[in-house]
Amino acid sequence: MSDSLLAILSLVATLGFYYLTKLAYRRKRIILLAPMLAAPLAIIALVLAVDIPLDDYYLYTHFLVMMLGPATIAFAVPIYQERDVIRRYPITLTLGVITGLMLGLLSSWILVQLFPLPDELASSMMVRSVSTPFAVEAVSSFGGVPDITAMLVIMTGIIGMAVSETVFKVAKIRTPLAKGAALGAASHGAGTAKARELGREEGVIASLTMIFTGVAMVIGAPLFASVLG
Amino acid sequence: MPPHTPLNHRIPMARTRSLFSVVLQITAFCGLFWLCNLLVELEHLPVPAGVIGMVLLVVLLLTRLVPEKAVRSGSNFLLGELLLFFIPPVVSILKYWSMLRDDGWMLIGALIIGTVVVLTGTAWVVDRIFTLEKRMNERRMLDTVHV
Repeated sequence: MSDSLLAILSLVATLGFYYLTKLAYRRKRIILLAPMLAAPLAIIALVLAVDIPLDDYYLYTHFLVMMLGPATIAFAVPIYQERDVIRRYPITLTLGVITGLMLGLLSSWILVQLFPLPDELASSMMVRSVSTPFAVEAVSSFGGVPDITAMLVIMTGIIGMAVSETVFKVAKIRTPLAKGAALGAASHGAGTAKARELGREEGVIASLTMIFTGVAMVIGAPLFASVLG
Repeated sequence: MPPHTPLNHRIPMARTRSLFSVVLQITAFCGLFWLCNLLVELEHLPVPAGVIGMVLLVVLLLTRLVPEKAVRSGSNFLLGELLLFFIPPVVSILKYWSMLRDDGWMLIGALIIGTVVVLTGTAWVVDRIFTLEKRMNERRMLDTVHV
């Protein structure tokens, strides 16, 4: 097959698998069908099976990645819509963001000291707990790689979704705000989706915590990198 | 003519119009991002264009210079399909395949421990603070009632 044909196939398959898994997950809520797990796996399988060179895969699909920037701006709308929640719980939100951010950075830093991971992985680990558009911006301060970061962010999201309910049960967490803040801070978009399943209030707090943690990470990254580096 | 015909006739029209407005709004988001990028490059700002655009749009919404409905459906689409936009970089982990094969389990272990720490710690802190802040809010409300 020619390069441009492979590139078109890549784009169509990426869109196709994404919407297929999205539809399937809406019908059956099994984590294996979750688009964030099933879609990348299916596309990777296809790339390997058809032997698509990565350059061809990227030729058109990189236009999708370009939407991450405008999507960051789109976060302004939920902030505006939930301004009453921000006004009502400024301390809770601020402390949730600070705690989540600091714990995310510190846990990554300590774990990287304990586990001898390759450098590219280790430095990309630092931003794993914030939403992708923020993470790929912040990671350069730590000397990490955006591609690896995107993968770590997804893995963190899946893990957060899978373990959160057990963690809340063991740690005896009952208030919806605490669950929402923790999910938003620890596993960004995936955590927010999980929080929405728990309830409306959890979902709102999760998405606000996720956005503010991401912004704080992007703005603070040069400082954090110089302290932890 | 069956009674439902006019309705059937109206739905595709409404759909086309809402699709058009979503596309228009997404284009506006892209345009704003492009402008912010330009600003960042010209002024050598240390903050990424997306974050600047986000703050700017919050201000525009709060001052009612931009009505919420002019950006709502575009924002819903961009945030609803966020995952789609970063699937391509995940596919490029194929480049790092040997690294993942060797250290994959260690990586997953580290990610699980880290995520559990952040979940537990944040939930624990917020749990305590929230009870406090809720009590403060209730007292404030009681005070205003008394005054």
